Amino acid sequence: MKIQKKLTIGAAATLALAVALTGCTSKNASSASSTGGSDKITVAFVPKLQGIPIFEAMDAGGKAGASTLGSTWLYQGATSDDAAQQADIVRGFIQQKVSAIIVAPNDPDSIAPVLKEAQDAGIKVLTSDTDAPNSVRQVFVAQASDKGIGDALSDQLATAMGGSGEYAIVSCGETANNLNAWIAEEKSYIGANHPDMTLVDTVFAGEDQAKSAQMATDLINAHPNLKGIIGECTTSAPGVAQAVRDAGKIGVVHTVGVGTPTTMKPYLADGSSSASVLWDATALGNLANWAAVQLAQGKTFAATNNVSTDLPAVAYDDSTKTLLLGPPLIITTANVDQFNY
Amino acid sequence: MTTLLERPDAPPTPPAPSRTRKRILPRAVSGQEWILLGVIAALWIALGAFTPAFLSANSIQPLFAYVTPICLIGIGMTIVITTGGIDVSVAGMLLVCAVVTAKLLVDVGVSLGVAVAVSVLLGAFLGLLNGLLIAYGRVHPIIITFGTANIFLFIGLTVFDSKVINGLPSTLEWFGRGEAGRTLGLPHAFVLTIILVAIAWWCMRHTVIGRHFYAIGGDPTAARLAGVKVERLTVIAYVTTGAMVGLAAVITLASGTSTLEPSVGAGQELAVIAAVVIGGTSILGGRGSVFGTLLGAILVQTVSSGVTQLGWPSQLSELFVGVFIIIAVGTDILRQRARKGKRL
Repeated sequence: MKIQKKLTIGAAATLALAVALTGCTSKNASSASSTGGSDKITVAFVPKLQGIPIFEAMDAGGKAGASTLGSTWLYQGATSDDAAQQADIVRGFIQQKVSAIIVAPNDPDSIAPVLKEAQDAGIKVLTSDTDAPNSVRQVFVAQASDKGIGDALSDQLATAMGGSGEYAIVSCGETANNLNAWIAEEKSYIGANHPDMTLVDTVFAGEDQAKSAQMATDLINAHPNLKGIIGECTTSAPGVAQAVRDAGKIGVVHTVGVGTPTTMKPYLADGSSSASVLWDATALGNLANWAAVQLAQGKTFAATNNVSTDLPAVAYDDSTKTLLLGPPLIITTANVDQFNY
Repeated sequence: MTTLLERPDAPPTPPAPSRTRKRILPRAVSGQEWILLGVIAALWIALGAFTPAFLSANSIQPLFAYVTPICLIGIGMTIVITTGGIDVSVAGMLLVCAVVTAKLLVDVGVSLGVAVAVSVLLGAFLGLLNGLLIAYGRVHPIIITFGTANIFLFIGLTVFDSKVINGLPSTLEWFGRGEAGRTLGLPHAFVLTIILVAIAWWCMRHTVIGRHFYAIGGDPTAARLAGVKVERLTVIAYVTTGAMVGLAAVITLASGTSTLEPSVGAGQELAVIAAVVIGGTSILGGRGSVFGTLLGAILVQTVSSGVTQLGWPSQLSELFVGVFIIIAVGTDILRQRARKGKRL
């Protein structure tokens, strides 16, 4: 009996070790191959987590920008949106002595001391996608302002609903700062510009597609006159559209949301979603890489920057130290095929 | 009086009925299940009165469709918990089954039948790993399944390869939430779930294997001495759970959007355990009912839908579910104490 027990534990341990080893080896191999000469500028990007289309698109943009500028681009994120895992990855890059680190923080406050460590090691520190305003980051590369996203969603919804009627919001995490900022902006913008539209409810579904669809179904049932739903994040945008499709309410209940192009394509096609508001994530990755290289070369930003032919005039706000990609991207059936993420 | 006497060919396990205990099998529908039915009925009537459309088909059909993955996994989880175990790896298994099935549907274009078969077999295989490690490793199931949960997560995310899976075909619509997923107004997925719950309920009550699950959960040493094949039955319990997770994965795909994200299944293990516990299954083992689990899942979703339809803050549904769990566990513990007190 005892031998059997030991064997099992041994087998489990071997298995765990094997998993750990293969994980490590592949990690080291990829970073060793991509860390080139020491004179070259190396920029590392740490997203909130891996496997999210907008971060993969930022990775593609950063990589493309790096090959144009002759720098090296590294990309590594955690498997879950865990602040501690993210901090470990940032520390790993500090030990590799990269030239600059761009972070999309999961938790702006807990990442701040790690960013300080990076700065103390002589590494330039940037944030993108999500800011860490109370940290030593030298610039925040922003995709769009909260006002830009909130107003665009409001206007798209108003157009779809014909400017009047009841609408509801299906948001995701209750504590997500960016989503709450967009919701606040939508409320005030719609109140001021579309006074005939009434917000009946705001619900939170977490990052769960099925739950957002079910909550949207409940909202449609609870409010027989409902004409519009905003899906506030990339999981609830297709979720609310799916609910409208399943309820057979296409053309009666209109939805808009923050969704990625490939995901939203079938819903835009059948009209269950009227429009998706996002930003060009590939261009954001390119801009973040450019900003990091700029800082690594000891340069500063002008009020308006000519980054590339696609980004001829990127505004820089010195008071908030923010580079702004530009107005948000509005995805409809007309342009959805132009994007591959 | 007892079922044993009525059915002379019945399992030989229970000893001859003593005069003090009138029943060997518990009642077909236990007290807790009647209470749950009553609570659900009361809530439905109240919600029907206070919301415009809670009791309409448009509201009840999606509710039934939405609870099916929880109920299906709950069938397996009820058996596992009845044997005194627990399986916290179901969310990881769901992720693996969902991503593999999704890839087959998108890249190979398999039919619904093949998708179900692959997913169920894959789930059963993962359950077999859990079962073998638990039955022969003699380590507490929560530790083993916690370990395998992380390994399954790793496998699932590796198959995902850092990309969401877009363009799931309409092959699965037969199991979906829309019009194509219903016959005579009943969601196919829910009907299938009811049938499986009925089969599991019958097996748990009336077959040797079923009664042995209770015996193991009640006292594994006594069960072993009585000749119960504890290891084999433990493996069967976890394999069943895995197979049910595989089926639930297909229905999750069918009722979701045309995109599958790596977050699929996250937190599902807790939702399932909540349904099982609220349904009256004792977390200490030895007592459990799949019918109760079905009711538990429906109660949880009634509360969540009700809170949304009443326009109350979303987080209140978490509060209510928490209170239900505490009440259910509290009742169970009081019942166990009362029983022990009687014996002494």
